[in-house]
Amino acid sequence: MTDRTPDTLADAVARCADEPIHVPGSIQPHGFLLVVGEPDLRVLQASQNVAEWIGEEAQGLLGRQLAELIGDSDLPQRLAAVSGDDRNPFHVGDVGLRLGAAAGQSFALMAHRNDGQLILEFERTGSAREAYGTLYPLMRTFVAELHAAESLESICQLAVNELRRITGFGRIKAYRFDQEGNGEVLAEHAEPGYASYLGHCFPASDIPAQARRLYRENLIRVIPDANYQPSPLIPQLNPVSGAPLDLSFASLRSVSPVHLQFMRNMGTLASMSVSIVVRDQLWGLISCHDAEARQVSHQSRTACELLARILALQIDASESDLLAQRKLERRHLIVRLLAGMADRDSVTEGFKSLPDVVLAFAAAEGAAVVSADSCVSVGEVPAREQIIELAKWIAARESGPLFSSDNLSRDVPQLPALAEHSAGVLAVSISNLHPHYLIWFRQERVRTIKWAGQPQKQRDEISGALTPRHSFETWREVVRGFCAPWEEAEREGALELRNAVLGIVLRKAEEMAQLAGELRESNKELESFSYSVSHDLRAPLRHIAGYTELLSEMEGGQLSERGQRFLGNIGDAARFAGTLVDNLLSFSQMGRSALHLSDVDLGALVASVRDEMRPDYESREVEWEILPMPVVVADASFIHMVLRNLIGNALKYTGTRERALIEIGAHQRPDETVVYIRDNGVGFDMQYANKLFGVFQRLHRMEEFEGTGIGLASVRRIVERHGGRVWADGRVDQGATFFFALPHLTYTETANDRKD
Amino acid sequence: MLKPILLVEDNPHDLELTLVALERSQLANDVVVKRDGAEALDYLLRRGEHQSRDDGNPAVLLLDLKLPKVDGLEVLKTVRETPSLRSIPVVMLTSSREEPDLVRAYEMGVNAYVVKPVDFKDFVAAISDLGIFWAVLNEPPPGSLRLKRTRRVDEQND
Repeated sequence: MTDRTPDTLADAVARCADEPIHVPGSIQPHGFLLVVGEPDLRVLQASQNVAEWIGEEAQGLLGRQLAELIGDSDLPQRLAAVSGDDRNPFHVGDVGLRLGAAAGQSFALMAHRNDGQLILEFERTGSAREAYGTLYPLMRTFVAELHAAESLESICQLAVNELRRITGFGRIKAYRFDQEGNGEVLAEHAEPGYASYLGHCFPASDIPAQARRLYRENLIRVIPDANYQPSPLIPQLNPVSGAPLDLSFASLRSVSPVHLQFMRNMGTLASMSVSIVVRDQLWGLISCHDAEARQVSHQSRTACELLARILALQIDASESDLLAQRKLERRHLIVRLLAGMADRDSVTEGFKSLPDVVLAFAAAEGAAVVSADSCVSVGEVPAREQIIELAKWIAARESGPLFSSDNLSRDVPQLPALAEHSAGVLAVSISNLHPHYLIWFRQERVRTIKWAGQPQKQRDEISGALTPRHSFETWREVVRGFCAPWEEAEREGALELRNAVLGIVLRKAEEMAQLAGELRESNKELESFSYSVSHDLRAPLRHIAGYTELLSEMEGGQLSERGQRFLGNIGDAARFAGTLVDNLLSFSQMGRSALHLSDVDLGALVASVRDEMRPDYESREVEWEILPMPVVVADASFIHMVLRNLIGNALKYTGTRERALIEIGAHQRPDETVVYIRDNGVGFDMQYANKLFGVFQRLHRMEEFEGTGIGLASVRRIVERHGGRVWADGRVDQGATFFFALPHLTYTETANDRKD
Repeated sequence: MLKPILLVEDNPHDLELTLVALERSQLANDVVVKRDGAEALDYLLRRGEHQSRDDGNPAVLLLDLKLPKVDGLEVLKTVRETPSLRSIPVVMLTSSREEPDLVRAYEMGVNAYVVKPVDFKDFVAAISDLGIFWAVLNEPPPGSLRLKRTRRVDEQND
């Protein structure tokens, strides 16, 4: 690891960033510069080197009319047409000079307006043939090839090759800036003898902020010879603005001495950089170097600039395409996840059922859903407690639904054990009310960065000024503790998933509310139905029973024996119907009234039921085998009813046996208690076993065994209200065994939770 | 002279059977029959045709819960809210334990209730038991024995 000294480095970079590079007060000497006032086109400023170029002293040119210098009569019109909107220098044409030693010579004149000033730059003329030779192939082949290129690297490589063809620089490299501003070399052309930097990173500090700003606005800069002597502007201050001239867009702008030192350290004398500006952002640079001084004509520069613009468009299209494709893929995954959740009516269940989709969604190694008291995970995740701790920590931050970190040991130092497992997390809240989260985990990705030399400029220990580094030897930095960075698309996808999940939860809540409402309605209806049954059905039965009784008492003597029997049957039938109504009512009550859970001693209940029924079997020979019974958590009075029914049945259906055998016992299973009542009675045919527990289902004729056909239905309803189950086993004439299983409940569970 | 028993019952069959049951319990009290809540209140409050009836409250009020015009609960409420009537023992007659108003009847200070049994013999036993207790034995101010006795009556009709 590098021994960074961030403070002193930051200080030095800050000083570098303060250098006013757009107003250097001088130009490079491979051309000369004039500033002229409008509309009279008198010279306001001139570069000192006009003396070398045209043999006239700069001072002597000041105040003179441009027409004295240049003969072209239509120049004023062409200059007036130079737009102030595009501040990049525009080749207004080649002009002939009338003055001094250069009289008769032709120069390429580039004009641009900036900050209200008309700036004229003069360079040697190029040839029209050269312009055609560079531009035509660029348009014809490069543009066509770009479309065929599939990756950013190949697009950049094409641009590099094309620039090489146009300019002939010894090494051309295209690099892309990351979020921190470090540039990674994606494509390169290097002639023999030039060091290759393909795959290397150039630290952000190589290009100070104000230089990046200039790069974004002015697409092309050329330094033909790093050993140049800058030529100052005369006078230094612009006479109109009273300030140094803004040379941001001037192609002759003199550059920072720090940069020139940097170039010399790199072993290059000539450089050209072309900005790749995508959506107003400095996406990357194509930087060209040559060991020798090298001139680039304005035609070539124009071609390079055009190339840069085409390249930027292509990169934009390619990145948008990629982004759209990823978005589509992610959308597809969201749809699958939501379908899974909807199918299973549960976010957690859906999540569990599609581990691959969950992980692919955020390109993660592990993921977890954390809700109130549960934490369900897939893939490689930290220990459960740590996930829950993390969810608490995120909830406590209270800063929006999304949290991401690509370095947990840096961002969540409070949970060091977490960082030992995972380097990064992406977490999104999936409830507006509760701290419920979907969390993805990424493991550490150890990265080796090939820096082109130590990623800091060297600070001059004496002056404190930055001196550019001297070494460009590959220097490998191993970066630990980071996961692959979370992409914006992944973060957006997580938010999208959150919204969809909230939608599902909300819809479910609404459905539940509606269902509960309907249930309440139908419960009400049921209640009023029971009420009218109890009241209206019971009354006539009571009347029949009453009058039959009275009739039999008062007039019974006048009836035949048969008539008296009929009367008795009427009374019995009415009384039986009354019992039926009462049983039906209590059955319907069982479904509605709340369970009152408490400790229920099954052994004691069985004993009390046996006591209660003693009159029914006193006269019979019954052998009881009662095994030890556990204490369970249940509704005591309901379970009492269950046992009364089952034991009553056992007694009833052994009524024909000389010696009845009744065995009652229980055994514990991991999650339930199973109770059974076995008898040696008449049994039943297993093919009717499923009918046993239905309302009004009877497997025997009335005169064989009396009953209302509601007992076992009540048993089932009660047991199911407890979340348990009932079943039976038997054979005709071989006895029957009835089972019921009660889950292990706690007092806090409400009856409704257990209702199916 | 024994105070009369006031029986409020709209159903003619129930009325007849209840009267037979009261007859069999050999009570000496007269039975005054009213067929709805309004008539019962007129009698109790000595209104309308009862303006000139003899002084005094009935020994016990046997009140059906469901009655035309003014239902049993309202009669009970008026009885409990009228100082001159407050001490009359009131026994609710109901068709089944399911009746949702039963709880309210208790809250409003009913002294006992009887779920009319389907079996006539049981019905006779219940009515005569009640009649004897409330019409004959009940002299102390209401409330002193209510709780205990009420439970006993309940058990009997369980």
